Amino acid sequence: MRIPLNWLKEYVKLPNKLTILTDKLTMAGHLLDKVEKFEEDIVIDLELRGNRADCYSILGIAREVSALFDIPVKYPKIFHSLKRVDQLKECKNRIDNPYVKRAMMVAISNVKICPSTEKIQKRLRAYGIPPINSIVDLTNYVMLETGEPMHVFDLEQIGGSIQVRLAKGGEKMTTFLDKSLTLTSDDLVWANDNSILSIAGAIGEKYHSISDKTKNIIVEAANYDQANIRRTIYRHNLLTDAGIRHEKELDPNMVEQGIYRFLELIEENGWGKIKPFVFDYYPKPVLPWKIFLNYEDIRSLGGVEIDKKVVKDILKKLNFEIKDENEKGIDTVCPTYRTDVKLEEGVVEEILRIYGYEEIPSKVLSLEIPADITPSYINQELELKKILTSLGFNEIISSSFIKESDLKINFLIDGEKASPVEMENPPSPDVCEMRMSLIPNLLDSISKVINERGESINFFEVGKIYFKKDGKYLEKRKLGISYWVKDKIDFQYFKGLLEALFSLVNISNIRFEQVGNIFNYVNSYNLKLDNKIIGSGGRSNNIFFTEIDLDSILGKSGVVKANLWPKYPPQIEDISLIFPDKTYIGDVINIIKNQKNISDVELKDTFKDSYTFRIWYQDPDKTLTNDEVETIRSSFLKRLKQKFSVTLKT
Amino acid sequence: MREEIINIKNEALAQIMDAKDSVELENIRITYLGRSGKLTSLIKKIKDLNPDEKKGAGIVINETKNTIERNLVSQKNKFRTVVREWFDPTIPGIKPRIGHLHPTSIVINEMYEIFKHLGFSLMEGPEIESDDYNFEKLNLPKDHPARSLQDALFVEKPEVVLRTHTSSVESRSLATLKPPFRIVVAGKCYRHENVNASNNAIFYQFQGFALQRGLSMADLKGTLYYFVKSFFGEKREIRFRCKYYPEVEPSGGLDLDCPFCHKKGCSVCKGRGWLEILGCGMIHPNILKEFGYDTKKISGFAFGMGLDRIVMDKFKINDIRSLYNGDITYQI
Repeated sequence: MRIPLNWLKEYVKLPNKLTILTDKLTMAGHLLDKVEKFEEDIVIDLELRGNRADCYSILGIAREVSALFDIPVKYPKIFHSLKRVDQLKECKNRIDNPYVKRAMMVAISNVKICPSTEKIQKRLRAYGIPPINSIVDLTNYVMLETGEPMHVFDLEQIGGSIQVRLAKGGEKMTTFLDKSLTLTSDDLVWANDNSILSIAGAIGEKYHSISDKTKNIIVEAANYDQANIRRTIYRHNLLTDAGIRHEKELDPNMVEQGIYRFLELIEENGWGKIKPFVFDYYPKPVLPWKIFLNYEDIRSLGGVEIDKKVVKDILKKLNFEIKDENEKGIDTVCPTYRTDVKLEEGVVEEILRIYGYEEIPSKVLSLEIPADITPSYINQELELKKILTSLGFNEIISSSFIKESDLKINFLIDGEKASPVEMENPPSPDVCEMRMSLIPNLLDSISKVINERGESINFFEVGKIYFKKDGKYLEKRKLGISYWVKDKIDFQYFKGLLEALFSLVNISNIRFEQVGNIFNYVNSYNLKLDNKIIGSGGRSNNIFFTEIDLDSILGKSGVVKANLWPKYPPQIEDISLIFPDKTYIGDVINIIKNQKNISDVELKDTFKDSYTFRIWYQDPDKTLTNDEVETIRSSFLKRLKQKFSVTLKT
Repeated sequence: MREEIINIKNEALAQIMDAKDSVELENIRITYLGRSGKLTSLIKKIKDLNPDEKKGAGIVINETKNTIERNLVSQKNKFRTVVREWFDPTIPGIKPRIGHLHPTSIVINEMYEIFKHLGFSLMEGPEIESDDYNFEKLNLPKDHPARSLQDALFVEKPEVVLRTHTSSVESRSLATLKPPFRIVVAGKCYRHENVNASNNAIFYQFQGFALQRGLSMADLKGTLYYFVKSFFGEKREIRFRCKYYPEVEPSGGLDLDCPFCHKKGCSVCKGRGWLEILGCGMIHPNILKEFGYDTKKISGFAFGMGLDRIVMDKFKINDIRSLYNGDITYQI
């Protein structure tokens, strides 16, 4: 909120240096946003927080300055009390809506519609409200001064009756700023028998507001259910000066101060004749409330020892009454404008705020250290990411949303059907679903930089995918990997990286199984661990990709086994075998590996249909003889022949 | 015989040390190791020894021979006139592929490490969240004014949202974990904001909270000061002030001196001289009561910060969108 200093000065003496003022206000919760020269005045713009409804006024800030610098507030003069009546004779009313907490009305006749005073105009301009005429300016002026928004109605325009009611769903009205609104049955309005006159707490209507011809008015100030007003102003985007105050929890007792201040200035300026009656609807008057402040709680919560006398002084500066006190603490009474202080912890904050947050000592957790309860998958995930970088992959983080053009990939999760998560209010019209796979964004990222960054690009992403299944919203953590080499299609190299990854996270026995192509990608396969699908992959042009379900592999990793090198040497031989087309070489290797006393098998070379394997024959208990090796060899060859039409190349 | 060997060895080593050039060294070699050299003659005598002595003498002679040879070589190297061959050490190396973590991950890891030292555990939670855990249980009832600061993306209005802050993990932890605990959480959050250079519908937050009998604002301040000094540097100036957040009471905010203008005011800090880094405070009594805690017996603190600004500053990235669209190149 913009605070013109000449105005503030009228109610409280300010320190000589501006920064002394603004630094203290900032430390106490009202951040200085900027300082600005305006005409011959200085305006400070404070970033107020939503809990301090009482501070959205010059007097509110004056009270803060008063507490911080221990200088009394000079409150402005208000009009003498008027006689309370049940109805104003100028205008019958029906106010008793449950959303109205308080409403006051006073009739004023023979109003003088003219430019307001130079002082009022200047102050409104400094705040940022354009001056209009004496009466309108005065409602705004008093709102800025006291924090209480108010509204005036032209008596001739409204006729003989006025009421507060909820709008009918679909009811229409035009604001004085020419904005057409279609209201809902949750919008509170002021209306006469025929039309809506204003939206309660937010904005006036166009055709019934005061004009140059206005003679007699009713001024209204009210307090409403904050939640209802808030819904209305956000529903219709009515963030007016009145609206931003009413959407917070204002003090109903402020209504009275506001309206009597308004009357005082009408009288002082001779802008109308005040009728001597006031209508005041206030079914449940709010009285100051008691809070017990335990001295010990200042120390245990605030972490600082403050002298009892200092505590009491601070409370007095903040207009908290000290009702009673004993050894343990103080029965304090909270002023009703402090709608943010309801609990003892709130009072502790007040004490600290004025005492100074800079006085709180800084203590590095001296208490007992709690157990480390980090779930193991979080540490494993961090480790996995480091391993991927060591294998040459760069991490990317991509959007959790998916572009419309990629929606087609959005329906399978680990081979099972699921539906995507859609947003009701998407951040932009072309993004409304959440991703069900990391792959589209990953391929996108890699395609964007292909040919720009050297000969090859390796990316990975660790992140969540989102889907809906059986009415539940679910998330899974996935690892996506993509790999591209210029002018090359080399699956074996990519697979080598994947195998290195699995071996570094101590997972063995991952099986790759060819499946039907996934979408328009080719060379698709599933990854299986213990016969369960844990991921899949494929190729798009010459980009290879794989997506792995992290929850299926993290926590599954075995312990690294350190074995001694076998005592008895292996016999190593290379064997070339010829296989027909479409033979899965992985299966061939598995058969050879499963043979007893073969410690390792490697594919050394391929040429057309001929595959050369290097085989380690090794018995842990003795050195194998040539005859024994011969037996092993013929045994696995026999098994291979049963399964494949294999010929031994000689 | 052993004594004889040792004498020969010492004599040879002394001569090697005194040798002036490689010719002299060659003479020494012949004197001791040559066909009729001193050591060689001793080797010939081994066969005359009794079997017990034989073995020991063999080993000692062998060692001596090796020592003399080693010393000859190293002394010879000293005499070598070094011929400078053409060699280009400026030629670029052939690099193995090295990958890098995303800047956001780097920052998160660094923060994790700092908080681990202070006894914090790591935790995470769902991004699709109920209104309950994201708002209601955090002292943010419907129609609370503070909700307008956090326009949610709704999956199902009004009950299912994409979490607007990592505080949702705080409410989940308060519901399920047994105190005492200290937790930090990092993760993606979402708000309904128009996408531009500094606002993104997706952003990262880093959150911490602790629940333990005896915690006060002093512990919070100490924890945050330790963190800030470790992460941003010992020299940064800190401003710890009152700042309202609905989830905490008493509540606070922590600002750092603007490194770009040294508190003089510039466009980065909007002329304020300070950068707002995080919000914090003691967990609100309404929240503790919501989860069945007696506020007289236990207390807790919480803090939260946006990570993207910190990452952008650290890595000098000026468009938030480039963090999450694969535009980053990595250099070391």
